[in-house]
Amino acid sequence: MRKIQSMISTSSADFRRYDVHNRRVVSEFRAKQEAARHQRPARDLDRLAKQGKMRPRERIEKLLDPGTPFLELSSLAGNMAYDGDSPSASSIVGIGIVSGREVVIRADDPTVKGGAWYPLTAKKIVRALDIAMENRLPVIHLCDSAGGFLQLQSEVFPDKYMAGRIFRNQSILSKMGVKQLSLVFGHCTAGGAYIPGLSDYSVIVRGTGAVFLGGPPLVKAATGEEVSVEELGGADMHTSVSGTADYPAASEDEAIHIGREIVAQWDRPKKWDCQQETPEDPAYDPEEIYGIVPDDIKKSFDMREIIARMVDGSRFHEYQPNYGTTLICGYANIWGYKVGILANNGVLFNDSSLKGGHFIELCNQNNTPLVFLQNITGYMIGREYERRGITKDGAKMIMAQSCSRVPKFTVMCNGSFGAGNYGMCGRAFDGRFLFTWPNHQIGVMGGDQAANTLAEVKLNQMKRAGLVDQSEVDRVWEDTRKAYQEQLSAYYSTSELWDDGIIDPVDTRNALGIAISASLNAPLGDPGYGVFRF
Amino acid sequence: MSTPLFNKVLVANRGEIACRVMRTLAEMGIASVAIHHRVEARAKHVRMADEAVEIAGDTPVAAHLDIGQIIAAAKATGADAIHPGYGFLSENAGFAKAVADAGLTFIGPDAETISLMGDKISARNFAEAHGVPVAPSVMPTGDLDAFIAQAEGIGFPLLIKAAAGGGGKGMSIVRSASQLREAARLASSEAQRYFGDGRVYAETYVERPRHIEVQVLGDGKGAAIHLFERECSVQRRFQKIIEEAPSANLPAKLAAEICESAVRLAAAANYKNAGTVEYILGADGRYFFLEMNTRLQVEHPVTEMITGLDLVRCQIEIAAGKGLPLTQAQVKANGHAIECRVCAENPDNDFMPETGVVKYLGVPEEPWLRFENALDQGQKVTADFDPMLAKLVVHGADRAEAVDRSIAALNGLALLGVKTNIDYLARVLDHEAFRDGDLHTGFVAEHKSDLGPVPLDETELVQLLAAAALGFRDFQDLALGTPEPYSAIGGWRN
Amino acid sequence: MAIKLTLDGKVHGVTIARRHPHLVLVIDGVEHEVSSLPGLGDGRKSITVGGNEVAFSRAQLRDRQVVRIGGRTFEVGVVDPFSQGGAGGAGQDAVKAPMPGAVVSVQKQAGDKVTRGEAIVTIESMKLQTALPAPRDGVIAKILKGEGETFEKDEIIVTLEPETEKA
Repeated sequence: MRKIQSMISTSSADFRRYDVHNRRVVSEFRAKQEAARHQRPARDLDRLAKQGKMRPRERIEKLLDPGTPFLELSSLAGNMAYDGDSPSASSIVGIGIVSGREVVIRADDPTVKGGAWYPLTAKKIVRALDIAMENRLPVIHLCDSAGGFLQLQSEVFPDKYMAGRIFRNQSILSKMGVKQLSLVFGHCTAGGAYIPGLSDYSVIVRGTGAVFLGGPPLVKAATGEEVSVEELGGADMHTSVSGTADYPAASEDEAIHIGREIVAQWDRPKKWDCQQETPEDPAYDPEEIYGIVPDDIKKSFDMREIIARMVDGSRFHEYQPNYGTTLICGYANIWGYKVGILANNGVLFNDSSLKGGHFIELCNQNNTPLVFLQNITGYMIGREYERRGITKDGAKMIMAQSCSRVPKFTVMCNGSFGAGNYGMCGRAFDGRFLFTWPNHQIGVMGGDQAANTLAEVKLNQMKRAGLVDQSEVDRVWEDTRKAYQEQLSAYYSTSELWDDGIIDPVDTRNALGIAISASLNAPLGDPGYGVFRF
Repeated sequence: MSTPLFNKVLVANRGEIACRVMRTLAEMGIASVAIHHRVEARAKHVRMADEAVEIAGDTPVAAHLDIGQIIAAAKATGADAIHPGYGFLSENAGFAKAVADAGLTFIGPDAETISLMGDKISARNFAEAHGVPVAPSVMPTGDLDAFIAQAEGIGFPLLIKAAAGGGGKGMSIVRSASQLREAARLASSEAQRYFGDGRVYAETYVERPRHIEVQVLGDGKGAAIHLFERECSVQRRFQKIIEEAPSANLPAKLAAEICESAVRLAAAANYKNAGTVEYILGADGRYFFLEMNTRLQVEHPVTEMITGLDLVRCQIEIAAGKGLPLTQAQVKANGHAIECRVCAENPDNDFMPETGVVKYLGVPEEPWLRFENALDQGQKVTADFDPMLAKLVVHGADRAEAVDRSIAALNGLALLGVKTNIDYLARVLDHEAFRDGDLHTGFVAEHKSDLGPVPLDETELVQLLAAAALGFRDFQDLALGTPEPYSAIGGWRN
Repeated sequence: MAIKLTLDGKVHGVTIARRHPHLVLVIDGVEHEVSSLPGLGDGRKSITVGGNEVAFSRAQLRDRQVVRIGGRTFEVGVVDPFSQGGAGGAGQDAVKAPMPGAVVSVQKQAGDKVTRGEAIVTIESMKLQTALPAPRDGVIAKILKGEGETFEKDEIIVTLEPETEKA
């Protein structure tokens, strides 16, 4: 495979300007992430320490095999919700290695409101379990939660994809033969009790761990019975009397040791046989991505330069290099895994759509996972293109992509607007993983167009009301733009769990490597497509 | 091939010496019979022998001391000779007699010679009578007070010894009159316990004495030769741990004089077969007869290495009535040989015996090296027998080369699963005083502070911990069981 | 996750920093590259640590590794992570009857120090005698059933003084 010949000059003024800009963007992201991970009121940390409990990230670090990676997902979920009261949506989710096995780790965060579940917490847990199902990854739950956040119960409790879905997913996982282990460090109350209850294995820490449907106060209120936490749902009761939990542990450390020992008993699932080479570092420095992605979303850049800094040896076999050139298609290896890459290099035309659809079919025929690198303003519009059937050509691409049997991965690199999002495997298309770069924007249309459209509606209303002061018009336009812009941002999208997390662009290779590895646990889907409109 | 000298020889021993003897028997076309106690039914000497007979006994040692059963075994298997090895019954006159009485050949001296030399006092008197120097001494009288009075007469320091003993049991050094009575009493009770004979005697104690011994062969008819001397000065708990031939820094004239006196003694005793005359040698060049061992010595291989002779073959030939296999003039020495006794013991805890299991045995292979042993991997090392596990015997062109090779061989020798003195032996050999040949029987005590374990430096500690960590299965799984690409990505966090 | 090795009474932590391109161990907090790995099992091996290859022999002796390296022999133990906190199931303060029966003999009394696994009382049930062991190291608080006394399943027979601190 040929090495991509980079056209980038790292000494150019543009490169240096973009580099400064993007490093600032990334450091803002890192700062937000750092705060979400570690910034907590001293009161909450003191309480945890007094209980002899570790912080949830300490638990994860001890659980993981030393010197192995942990791909944290959705670290900034909830960052723009609940006035920031639920950092990381009060839950930590990621993929890592425990006792040599690839697992999903999902931890409650008792440093935030006692680990209570916010609506986005439930969404994040459901997504974690969806990932486990889609990729057949065992799940380790680190339980320490007060239960649903009562003030927002209507958004946590009743609907199909709310908390109940967690338990439904747990059951389905078990039915699929995907193992689950719960390490109960704190309380698992009400619905939360079902997490260990529906796990194949559970360990409970004596003294601090407890599992019950109703805690002592609720029991007292309901029946007048007075009962201690230990008696009601403590480690010894559950492991020697009720059989609700399996192993008592004398300490959190011991619970983790027991947990690791349990995982070490699990069989190592056979993965399907994706084509693989010995991994190679990219020939170009991935940090150069910072100098390639421009400081303005309106400026274009060659996505090959990004591919060159993401794939093994910077080698890329480009398919149809002279046809449909606004969509780059080709084969490469990421951490050794053969993938088919589709990357936007401009708006999608008829030919680029057809090329994309065809390449997706080739990858499905060849059992090659698909990686979509999005930087798309949409499919081309206008009379000429509609006459050429841009809609039906776009539909072909969407059909091919939707019906793919190989796993799909999407990276939101810069912009994702309009129907291009769909063709390029947006969130709705069941890609196994979707990551977003911090500079990325997403929306049905670009910020200015949307603001114009929205503002026009508003201004028409104002005109009808007789208000036509130009400064008022400007203010309305600016407010509208601002509000819309905020929703376009990667932070908003990740807050709402429209992705699996914002990642630093230089981390893309590792994130994809782990994502692809994880995806191979699930067998390939059935081949076949719907009706293509020719 | 000519007719073998014997049809079948029973080896009344075990361990490395039994294997050693059987090796020569096999070379000579003689069938071998092993004896063993129930607990050693699968031992190497049993497997190596053509036949094996189990000997009953309350303890394994008791079995190996049971004359009646052993002779019965020889009879039953049709053996025509018995080789006693060393230790056990090798210097038991009663055994030699019983063997002879049963019409079998005892591969060793006559019972009379054993008796003569087996008693320290009669041996000493015999030596003195034949012009072999002996240390001024006081003989036991049975009257402790008289003994003490006489002992004080020859002056201090004095060595108190068991009359019937050997191997350092019942031995002590007394440096002043005030210690004498208690020392004599203790020695006597220890002698009683070990040898059933509480008689002790006292003799001049030579300061910084060296232990020099001469290997002799006699035909039993008054002809005898020597195969040079050996030095066995490095001892612990009065037991040799390193022996060498020739002696370190021994003037040729003195060596010859000592060897000649040994030949004189052997000839006078009409000594038959292989024997060793032991001396102590003072720094002033005075040497005194110590005792004569009427058997093959543990350390005989160093003599074999410098002379190129097979002493067991010599023993068999003499026992078969072939006379001395060579003349004194034919005996030539070449280079230097060192034997290290590998023992299951903890040198850092006063050489206390250790027990364990031979989990792994790795022996370096070199043309200049003999590793005399009867060890099997998986074998238990118990307190049933002597703690000596093996002998590492090395030859070199000269002493310096023999020392260097011995150290290299010890470093390369791995006997894991029971604590041994292997590391310690290498430390002794590498000690400046040893390299200089500044030896005496107090060497171990004198240099104790230099001979402790060498602390690990940082690099060595790391190597050790890394090697050990990866020996634990769980840790190795942890290190090597990580799937790709996780292993390659490493401890990355996003 | 690290293992703790013991050597001459000292504890050394060993964990893994990286595995690629070479294994990097963190030994007492310092990283060392290990570029050739000794296999499992007893025998003669070699290992390259920090670029220096060194030959050694290693044998597993029960729960320890005996390593002969550089002409010296060492026994390296490992701290069992479960031996410290009173393993799962232990750490409890009461010894309960595993089945109904009667006390045959009492080996200890209140106030006695016991180590984990040490027999406290012997019971008989269904013609089968069983020694009830201490579930953890500790001091006996009370022995609630004397010789000849009968009990039901799960009845508490012995209690231990609560542990003063959590490991």
